[in-house]
Amino acid sequence: MADKMDVDAVNGEKQEESVGPAPDLPPERIITNNFALINQAVDNFDSRFTLRALRSIATLRKASNFPDALIAGIRTAYPKASNRGRQILEELLPEKHQQNGTSASAGKETQEEQTHPEIWAYLGVLVQVYLHDQGEFEKGAEFSENFVERIRSWNRRTLDQIGAKAYFYYALFHENLDPKPPSKQSPVIDTRPKLLAALRSAVLRKDTDTQAAVTVLLLRNYISTADITQADLLVAQTQFPMTASNNQVCRYLYYLGRIRAIQLAYTQAHEHLESATRKSPTTGPAIGFYQQATKLLIVVELLMGDIPDRSLFRQPALEAALYPYFKLVQAVRVGDLQAFLKCASVNEPQFRKDGTYTLILRLRQNVIKTGVRMLSLSYSRISLRDICTRLGVDSEESAEYITAKAIRDGVIEASLDHQNGHMVTVPQKDAYSTTEPSEAFHARISALLGMRDDCVMAMRYPMNKHRQEIAEAAKARERERELAKEIIEGEGDADDGDDGGFEGM
Amino acid sequence: MAENEAKHIVQQLDSLKANQLTQAPQLLSRAKLALLNLNALVPSEDTPPTHLALASGILERGALISIKLKDTDSFTRYYQQLQPFYSLNNRSQNQSKVTGLYLLLLLSVGDYAGFHTVLEGLELSAGKEQIEKDQFIQYPVRLEQALMEGSYDKVWGETKRERVPSEEFGVFSEVLIDTIRSEIASCSERAYPSLPISNAKNLLFLDSEGAVIQFAQARGWVAKDGRIYFPQQEEEALAAEKDVMSNSDVVIENTLGYARKLETIV
Repeated sequence: MADKMDVDAVNGEKQEESVGPAPDLPPERIITNNFALINQAVDNFDSRFTLRALRSIATLRKASNFPDALIAGIRTAYPKASNRGRQILEELLPEKHQQNGTSASAGKETQEEQTHPEIWAYLGVLVQVYLHDQGEFEKGAEFSENFVERIRSWNRRTLDQIGAKAYFYYALFHENLDPKPPSKQSPVIDTRPKLLAALRSAVLRKDTDTQAAVTVLLLRNYISTADITQADLLVAQTQFPMTASNNQVCRYLYYLGRIRAIQLAYTQAHEHLESATRKSPTTGPAIGFYQQATKLLIVVELLMGDIPDRSLFRQPALEAALYPYFKLVQAVRVGDLQAFLKCASVNEPQFRKDGTYTLILRLRQNVIKTGVRMLSLSYSRISLRDICTRLGVDSEESAEYITAKAIRDGVIEASLDHQNGHMVTVPQKDAYSTTEPSEAFHARISALLGMRDDCVMAMRYPMNKHRQEIAEAAKARERERELAKEIIEGEGDADDGDDGGFEGM
Repeated sequence: MAENEAKHIVQQLDSLKANQLTQAPQLLSRAKLALLNLNALVPSEDTPPTHLALASGILERGALISIKLKDTDSFTRYYQQLQPFYSLNNRSQNQSKVTGLYLLLLLSVGDYAGFHTVLEGLELSAGKEQIEKDQFIQYPVRLEQALMEGSYDKVWGETKRERVPSEEFGVFSEVLIDTIRSEIASCSERAYPSLPISNAKNLLFLDSEGAVIQFAQARGWVAKDGRIYFPQQEEEALAAEKDVMSNSDVVIENTLGYARKLETIV
């Protein structure tokens, strides 16, 4: 799962790569270019430049000489070897790269300027990425611990985006330390106070990037050790920032969906998971997230008594990953209890890995319900004994209670005759004589209108543009007034009966 | 000092007879005071293992005694206090019993969300094999499955004395029977147009026909000529609600809403 999340993290940057620096630049050039971007971000107080700098991490980490480039970058930013920041970062990189690095930046010793902390933080994130890719989780965890603390103590708004990334790797490192999450002794539990503190400061500082990132990390943390109640409380007590980036929103919705599914609130779970799958990118490195969310969505949909669309399983990106779920859906669709149990036990390791096994076990009752519905649709009158054998239930009494419950829950329209021991199906009513079609229509229209409103709200308007417009409008009015004045002056001697009319313009 | 006192109280608790249970809460609060003196009521990293075992032992006894006294609130409190001990990974003998009882408690008050949340946590932390061979956990799991699919006769069978894994679990049988009875009643209302009283007796697991009539009156059913007739209004009311003609104002309101939205868009 860790890899999936990691992959997902990279993805956002990947998508818009064309906007970032051209991929064929050597990595050290990309890093130094990014310094310029970050400086620009600090000077203009515009986070977009920082985001653009962070976007190139995906390209950088794949470069073969990434460590060399990183060293070169550090030396460019901090030409003095005695600089504390430089020393901290360099200590984490292997010796041999340091030799190479010296030659690369030898000529730049002369320039000396005050570097922004953002540059250091950016390099710190790159070091985190490097350590993670090398599998040096211990070292990374230790470094991240101090690193995030440092970032927090700076309290600079231009650091927020970098800080959010830093926390992400901080949590990731701890997750990879032994003993791994489901265990209650996992180091992830020790990271909770720190993450909560980070959340608190982020909220107080209106730092939405870190707030969103840390909320998601905390949820992930709680869910990984199955502390669902705590996760639920966190959701209830905090507000997820509206302006969070799409990737964070996706993850937040996914975890929320997971919590709600465990709590049996399937309708809400379905809503969250559906938005998560729709918002998540369907191609590229984030495909793992998409698959995972879709798996959970399918199970929740089944639990709600719906059957997912066949076309869902035909998508090339999902076909192989969803095969066990496809079999599962088939079993549930026909209400075949035996096939369902077989499918669940054959694919158990896979389902467990996906964390959907306990949810799938709950499907048993749905399979039975579907079975009852199929019987009720096909027969207008059927004896309880037949129901019992077809559903594979133990006794006739059970069958009677089960059908009675199905009738009560509105799964089927039927009535039972206890003395003769059979179920009589009530003929279907005409749905068009009820308000149901208009309700469905209304739901669709509202969804579309809501989407339009969201689109309008999501548009980005340039800052202070309206002031400019106001100034222009004022100027135009001024001109008009002058014009009017001239006209009045011109006409003044002829007739001044209606000069008041111009005032209003 | 405090340790000896706590051990002494444990002995006293174990030697209590069934009719002396009312004294237990006092003993328990003294035991908890002793634990506080030992600084072991809430476990920390440097609590010695012997103290941990002592503390969880006392709390577990407290939980089981609360169940016997039918004091569910205090049971829940003990259960919550035990959680930090259980997460420290030294399994004590009564852990699954207490957890199973807590699951059953959640089930009997109808908190299915809480039930599944606890179960999910168990699956992850204890692993599948552990849970599947544990009769104390399996019992509530089986009950929940039967309740959810509607095999009420299975629930009835499970609550019989000989099927219950330990005497503490028997306390919940009564509550569970009440739960299933009201479930069956609400199902019957919708499923049968009418029902002979003798059949209703079997369906509802009641002892006599007199009890059936009493039950029927409590639920507002009509009993005459040896049959029970269920009231039908509910369904008709629902049908009327769905009728197009009766709520034309909603349709008008919606259409006006669309018109207004269209105006803002175009």
